[in-house]
Amino acid sequence: MNCSESQSVLSELARDQMMDASQRQSALAHAVSCGNCARGLDDARALTGGLRQLASVDAQEQAPARVEASLIAAFRERHSASRPVPVNAPAASRRWLYIAVGVAAAAVIALLISLIATQTRSAETTAPQEARTQKEAPDGVQVPSPAPSPEKHLVPANPKRGVRPIKPVIKSTPPAPKNAPRGDVEIATDFFPLVNRESLNQLDSGQLVRVELPRSALMSFGLPMNMERAGERIKADVVVGEDGLARAIRFVR
Amino acid sequence: MTLSKTPSDPELLRLMIAGDEDAFTALYRRRQGGVYRFALQMSGSQTVAEDVTQEVFMVLIREAERYDSSRASLAAYLYGIARNHVLRRFEQDRLLVPIGDSADDGDSFIHPAMIAEDDPLGDLTRNETIDTVRNSILALPAHYREVVVLCDLHEMSYVEAATVVGCAVGTVRSRLHRARALLVEKLRTGRDRNQNPEQMNPARCFA
Repeated sequence: MNCSESQSVLSELARDQMMDASQRQSALAHAVSCGNCARGLDDARALTGGLRQLASVDAQEQAPARVEASLIAAFRERHSASRPVPVNAPAASRRWLYIAVGVAAAAVIALLISLIATQTRSAETTAPQEARTQKEAPDGVQVPSPAPSPEKHLVPANPKRGVRPIKPVIKSTPPAPKNAPRGDVEIATDFFPLVNRESLNQLDSGQLVRVELPRSALMSFGLPMNMERAGERIKADVVVGEDGLARAIRFVR
Repeated sequence: MTLSKTPSDPELLRLMIAGDEDAFTALYRRRQGGVYRFALQMSGSQTVAEDVTQEVFMVLIREAERYDSSRASLAAYLYGIARNHVLRRFEQDRLLVPIGDSADDGDSFIHPAMIAEDDPLGDLTRNETIDTVRNSILALPAHYREVVVLCDLHEMSYVEAATVVGCAVGTVRSRLHRARALLVEKLRTGRDRNQNPEQMNPARCFA
């Protein structure tokens, strides 16, 4: 073995790595006879020893406990904000979400249809009486007289939503009694149209009907919903025209 | 969480993604030492090592879904993130600390902690082997330093180190060979200076 061949295996030799036995013997024999290669082997062994000692000492090094505490706090914060999702079935979880939204939308539609049918029947029988009642009951739900230009009551479309909220044509909430507790004050969203624009414009007067819907109905109108409260119900006001058709809806808290 | 046997990294990761805090804690405790030591040995700074460790696991918390077990072990994945953060830190520090000397191969990642002792082999012979070797490693250019740290100090295979560094296995092998040669050269230079102190010029940087 010459010096060049010896140099190429010095590192392996110094680290006692697996190598061909005859090659090892040749390299060691060459190092005995060659001072330069012997010095190279000594240097390589010193380096290997130093690296091993350093690795051994540093093996005790750990990140401070505060790093762990900080990371666990971050983990909790992240996972408290979003409910855990099964890792193996992300597609399945999304599918169930779509189904839930679809069912909620269908429930809203079914409810509105039943309301329309009810209102149609009652309007046919009690329309004159209701007209009198509205005039005589200022504290009840009031329907304004026909607006000269219904367009004035429409707010610009929200570009981010497919649903267009409208300003309430009807007064939002009956005035609270003077002695009513503050906790009873209701907060309502804008009205969301349930019919097309033309039908909305044709609304001259109507009734406000308080209903209860599954909370998931919020999502049908692009509103955020706390999934943990999906099973609860939420109050809503539905604007029903004199023809019995539901025109708009708002949600009340 | 009830664990009847020691769960693998992928199992812990899966549980962690599902929100299992115990799984995250177990995974962190299993892997933080290696990440911290890697950052410490690359930077020579406990502060940097602490910051990098925190960043690595924050990435894991935020983007665990991005880990692809078919491409690398979780350990290699974490080392890779740590490496990126360490190199980024070097870049930031380089902008703040002007360095006059440059590495002999053009690599200019010179951290203040890289400035070595005047006499490496003298320290070696005075039973200060560990500090001497540590400082000699810190004086290496970053792309040599990282393969020494990964292969010699963390006992990674060439394949794993190549995954962490993002290069070919042959590149790791050649860099490691060159890095060891540089380290030996530094030790030898130090010994020669020790034997002839009147000829010695103070060395600021070994790279």
